[in-house]
Amino acid sequence: MKALIRQAVRTGFTFGIVNIFFVLIGFNTLIGILLAKLSGIKQPGIIPAPKFLIIYTLLIGLWVGFSAIAKKNELEFGKKVLISGLAGLTTGFLAGLLNAVLAFLLINKVNARDFLTVLSFDFIKGTLFGLPPVSGILMTVVYFTLASLVGGTILALLNLKPVKNAWNATKFFIRSEVDKIQTVTQGKNRLLWQILAISLVAVIVVILPLKWGSYWNYVFGTVGLYVILGLGLNIIVGLSGQLVLGYIAFFAIGAYSMALLNSPVPHNLMWGFWPALVLGVVLAALSGLLLGLPLMRLRGDYLAIVTLGFGEIIRILLKSDLLTKFTGGPRGIQNISGPTLFGKPFASDIDFMFLIIGGVLLAVFVYSRLQHSRTGRAWLSIREDELVARASGVNTVTYKLLALAIGAAFAGLAGGIYASRNQFTGPDEHALMASINVLSLIIVGGMGNIPGTLLGAFALKGLPEILREFANFRLLAFGALLVFMMLSRPEGLIPSRRPKYQLPKDPDKIDSGKEAKND
Amino acid sequence: MNETGPLPVAQKGDNHRKRVRILKLLRPALGVVVLLFILFRMYQVLVVQHEFGPDTWTRLLISGLIIGAVYALIAIGYTLVYGILFMINFAHGEVMMFGAYAGLFAFQAFGAIKISSEPPTSFLNAYPVIAIILAFLIGMSISATLGYFLEKIAYRPLRKAPRLVPLISAIGASIFLQNAAQLLFSPQLRDVTNPEILKRGEGWKILINGSNVVISYTGVFTFVLSVLLLIGLYIIVQKTKLGRAMRAVALDKNTAALMGIDVNRTISRTFIISGALAGAAGVMWGLHNGLVYYFVGFIPGIKAFTAAVLGGIGNLPGAMVGGLFLGIIESMGPAALGIDFQLKDVLAFVILIFVLTFRPSGLLGEVLAEEKV
Repeated sequence: MKALIRQAVRTGFTFGIVNIFFVLIGFNTLIGILLAKLSGIKQPGIIPAPKFLIIYTLLIGLWVGFSAIAKKNELEFGKKVLISGLAGLTTGFLAGLLNAVLAFLLINKVNARDFLTVLSFDFIKGTLFGLPPVSGILMTVVYFTLASLVGGTILALLNLKPVKNAWNATKFFIRSEVDKIQTVTQGKNRLLWQILAISLVAVIVVILPLKWGSYWNYVFGTVGLYVILGLGLNIIVGLSGQLVLGYIAFFAIGAYSMALLNSPVPHNLMWGFWPALVLGVVLAALSGLLLGLPLMRLRGDYLAIVTLGFGEIIRILLKSDLLTKFTGGPRGIQNISGPTLFGKPFASDIDFMFLIIGGVLLAVFVYSRLQHSRTGRAWLSIREDELVARASGVNTVTYKLLALAIGAAFAGLAGGIYASRNQFTGPDEHALMASINVLSLIIVGGMGNIPGTLLGAFALKGLPEILREFANFRLLAFGALLVFMMLSRPEGLIPSRRPKYQLPKDPDKIDSGKEAKND
Repeated sequence: MNETGPLPVAQKGDNHRKRVRILKLLRPALGVVVLLFILFRMYQVLVVQHEFGPDTWTRLLISGLIIGAVYALIAIGYTLVYGILFMINFAHGEVMMFGAYAGLFAFQAFGAIKISSEPPTSFLNAYPVIAIILAFLIGMSISATLGYFLEKIAYRPLRKAPRLVPLISAIGASIFLQNAAQLLFSPQLRDVTNPEILKRGEGWKILINGSNVVISYTGVFTFVLSVLLLIGLYIIVQKTKLGRAMRAVALDKNTAALMGIDVNRTISRTFIISGALAGAAGVMWGLHNGLVYYFVGFIPGIKAFTAAVLGGIGNLPGAMVGGLFLGIIESMGPAALGIDFQLKDVLAFVILIFVLTFRPSGLLGEVLAEEKV
């Protein structure tokens, strides 16, 4: 029992700290404002009405209750409720302490905004739920404890036998239905089903850009470009196992080739879109080769840091006064002309969306052909163990350089389209954060496979656009997500499936197989 | 099949060997070319053009030494952690940033406490020594705490994972801390209130070549304190029980555990020490440069890593030498090569690439087994 109490207090304490952090970065008001928006009430200021802050408190309290008794299935019902209450009380106590400090600041009229930027007096009044200080502090404790108790009770009820049985039955039913569908699609008519699925996707892909507004075309265009980037980086990191952090430098090379060759301002060359795109891809691939040549001995962390340095070098050079005449300096290049196809200029977002979809399809095609080819297998062997790969006759240097060049070419393609679509490119678009974005999307989605990259690009580039209220918190959540993914699911949301060599279940078959080989 | 088999294979091997020989020659040849170019360029700038007098060079050397000392202090943190866990603590620069913020707030708070109203004096100027010591203690303890929790939350569960995993976790932690600072303290740039005796920009003046060269008080303070901390750290690592445990864990965790060393605790303490040093570096950064913002740790972090690699990562004297060396190169290099001062960061990264290409073990590092590199 003592150990249980200690655990409960520890859970409550952790959540208490998290809650204090949330309050100090103003996360509670953000949730409150969102709730207010959802319920359709217009807010006058940036501090939501107290009832929404109470809902935030209750939600956190529920979460404390859930996690206090999670994974404690063997306990009795009463103990569970007790523990969740205790955890909630601890969290509430910490939150109460914070509120006491805030109330002290409020009463003495100390302006703490110089130190912590959210702590305006209105904010403090809101955190005290608009009540007088003492009752505000007390209510904080009460709300947390109650909500945690309720959360614990709900979870405990869910774990009671009848509820659990019903849940299991539903799960079983769903799974068997899914299995049935799978057997149908995997059976004799597999090809037919595949064609059906592909044509469905194709129809959606053709129709959606026409139906969306230009905003959504823009957002999903960005997602598509990031898919191309993600696939390219996947070749380098996911398949051949070289951690490259300055990947966006290749993107910059593609974008700047497009910009310099198609913009009136620094040079007025006006080559047109397609030659510039091809040149950008070739230049990016060449720079990948050139960067790779001296670095073939390095691996892991060292390669990461050197390529990071390379990315920064490119960015600083683009920004510097030295090259201002050539690259436009910190202001970037404007008025990049768009592509034309058979004499018809690309005018609308829809055209660009189709261009990007074409690029994505090309990238997916190249990637999937490479992945299962001899080259792809060589990359995999290098990723798993370079020494063994070399011993088995894989020319590791050639294959690693090839991976860098192809990955860089993908980035060059994306960069060219990007610059042409935005009609602008500047050095700050190619900062380290963009490289880390691409790396994160393939890690979150699942390293080394196409569906993972698609999912990752959507999750990291599409979702933030949909959840615009969270703009300030996006990168914070992003960092936390990376750590969390590494701790809980390092293989990504959609892990790569490896072709496995399976022994047949029937032992006689193994024998016959051996005999067949001996023949 | 069997008769013709060996011949082509042997030929292929010969070709391959030839190619490898060419590649091996290529590297030193490239190095010689680059070296010659640098010498030529230096000759051109220093002898032919003769743009800067000795006063400018002294100025550059002084600023290089000061920034180098700070780099050395941060680089020690990278080296300590790398020596034990073989991972780059990517969030180390952010640990330093939090130390800088702690120092900033401490000075601000001390400046706001009024001791006497006639004449108006604040605690900061009435007892500057105590205030500075307190500010450093606050900064170092905040950063040390942060380092401890960073290891506990983001790195410890991943100790047995493939090496990419903790690195990405570290990148995530770095992004998280940066944005947490931005949300907590607002994105604006802040000025540090220095105590009167350590005013920025003031210092001893030396007359060289007819012009005044200022050796700033903050610069001397930063340099001396860094050297003292480095000596202190060296004594801890070489002479104390904790230092012996750290070295043992760095050599072999399992054997160290068998010898009765608590590996987890030793690693935690390593992070605490490296965090404390980074915190001190942060407070100094604030005192000397005067500006603190949420991105302040990023560039020094990368530079300090470069310094650690330059000296040989995992090697304590190497990190110190590498830091000073990088600081001096960064401040004097652009002038010596006659390039724009904007490009000093490029110079640092180019040096990193060259060191890793030609001598991956660093200036002072021993040659590591391939497994560790």
